[in-house]
Amino acid sequence: MKTPVSMLTMSDVTKVYRVKDSLLGGAGRDVVALDRFSMTINAGEIYGLVGESGSGKTTVSRLIVGLEPADGGDIRFDGTKVMGLKGRRRKNFTKQVQVIFQDPYQSLNTHFSIFETVCEPLVIHGIGDRQFRRARVCEILDTTGLTPPETYLNRYPHQLSGGQRQRVAIARAMVLEPRFLIADEPTSMLDALISFQIFRLLNHLRESFGVAILFITHSLAAARNLCDRVGVLYRGQLVEQGTAEETIMNPLHPYTKALLDAHPRFGSSRQKAYGVLRETERPIPDVDHCPFYPRCNPAMDNICNESTPTLKYLDSGRKVSCFLF
Amino acid sequence: MTQPFSTTQATKDAFGGGTERHVPYWIERFLDGWAIYRKNVIGRIGVVLLCLFALMAAVSYIPQWVNPIYNPMTGVDPQISYSTGPSFRHWLGTDNIGRDLFSQLLAGARVAFIVGITSALISILFGTTIGMVAGYYGKRTDLILMRFADMVMVMPTLLVVLILSALFGQLNIWVIVVMIALFRWPGVARVIRSQTMSLRHRPFVEAAIVAGASRFRILFRHILPNVMPLALLYMTFRVTSAIIIEAALAFLGFGDPGTVSWGMMLQWVWKTGHMFQAPYWLLPPGICISLITMAFYMTGRAMDDVLDPRLREEEIKR
Repeated sequence: MKTPVSMLTMSDVTKVYRVKDSLLGGAGRDVVALDRFSMTINAGEIYGLVGESGSGKTTVSRLIVGLEPADGGDIRFDGTKVMGLKGRRRKNFTKQVQVIFQDPYQSLNTHFSIFETVCEPLVIHGIGDRQFRRARVCEILDTTGLTPPETYLNRYPHQLSGGQRQRVAIARAMVLEPRFLIADEPTSMLDALISFQIFRLLNHLRESFGVAILFITHSLAAARNLCDRVGVLYRGQLVEQGTAEETIMNPLHPYTKALLDAHPRFGSSRQKAYGVLRETERPIPDVDHCPFYPRCNPAMDNICNESTPTLKYLDSGRKVSCFLF
Repeated sequence: MTQPFSTTQATKDAFGGGTERHVPYWIERFLDGWAIYRKNVIGRIGVVLLCLFALMAAVSYIPQWVNPIYNPMTGVDPQISYSTGPSFRHWLGTDNIGRDLFSQLLAGARVAFIVGITSALISILFGTTIGMVAGYYGKRTDLILMRFADMVMVMPTLLVVLILSALFGQLNIWVIVVMIALFRWPGVARVIRSQTMSLRHRPFVEAAIVAGASRFRILFRHILPNVMPLALLYMTFRVTSAIIIEAALAFLGFGDPGTVSWGMMLQWVWKTGHMFQAPYWLLPPGICISLITMAFYMTGRAMDDVLDPRLREEEIKR
């Protein structure tokens, strides 16, 4: 096995959304979306970022592509800082990093035909002439499974189904042949069968273009199906990381276990495999204890409620952020 | 998906041929909108009235071409030197120096359209651009532009234009048009700004940002087509106010003396003391001003129904 080459590194990235104080009392509370979050993605791998709603998964993707500024920490792509890139350097960066958004009904401009949509990145980066662009768009539509591509070129988003739209969005992201692709819950708006097709397509793209993918999802099944490694995110902190197979088949962190328990299963609806969850409500965390402490069954008093755990490296190459290990 | 040609042929034929024909989205949207618009009685009346006025404006060149005495400005009937009522020779009668009122009324329609539509276009141009920039850039740019808009908005247009024309003497009609436009953009800017602010964080705009699109490209390729219908709606309301302001200016004696507008006609009735002696002279321009502004307003109201689905639903329930 080749030694992995790290492509994207995020170290101690923090993002706080400030809620403004309203005029009539009601003190604004800052929402911590990411709390000293660190992650490395290697070239050519599919990295799954798993977590419940509001755990900061989407914030990670928005920070990487610069849709929002980070409040602290460092994000590097190929060793270059990506925060605050301007002008030609930013353009070069956007050529290599692209995003597939969550909602294919919102991410396509209704006024653009499919050709215009997929062609736009080529126009922006001034690649090729008319003929080349047309050929390129057809080629990428074909790759993403919209065949025959010619019949799609002059259509508009509202004439396509959700799955087809998402394929168009993927084609738009892939048309520049980026080296890194962020898929932000690309299938949450699609039904199971279409989702599976999209997973297969992503895997195919990785194999034929060697693109690294950050796959953001709330579905552990999808992560296991598709990813090489997964990271579990809770309240803006990475609580566990390891290979997809190991992490999901043999979870270490109580939160990962709770996530697996939450997965619906046929038959044994009452029975929980791990039973780690004490509270279903998610209280607002205090600063000075483990963020998962209030909901954690195996939590140890006097340890877990008094200090915050840090990410520990285990021998098996996994990382976990819990005092139990 | 149905395909008119066999798959192999469609893939072979790269230009035309196997490609299905599709109308551009905005045309389709326009046709959809028109289908809804047609069901609106108020809108239908508005469009019919507008067509009538447009016809008047179009035929306004004919009378003077038939006979120079029908020229609305300079044509004087040599046999008449006082105001006369409607006759076969002069359908609406003549003014006090023997000019034909009917041809004046037709010319007035032309001027109303020119004034209304040009100044509305200019104010829409300003309003949309400023609104989009303020809404997209936000922060300080937004603050400065919107406070400036507020300042312009609270200025009473008519009064300011009156003072300016009192200062600089009789103003050319185009100067009046531009001045009306320059005072009427803030309302448009506000609406477009709020629309832009809601569009700015939509995923398709963010996708364009991620693809590396410039701000110019995002504003004019992505946001503009989405705010355009709203801008057009506001244009109809701006047309109304521009026509009214021009008429008021002209009636008060500050219009362009070289142009025959309906406001000018009213000013002449009043100045020559025919206000209550010659209803055939007073009423037509007055009625025309009311009708054309009403027509534009009705068109705008009906367009509002098309653009705002909530209004439309209420319409159906009733």
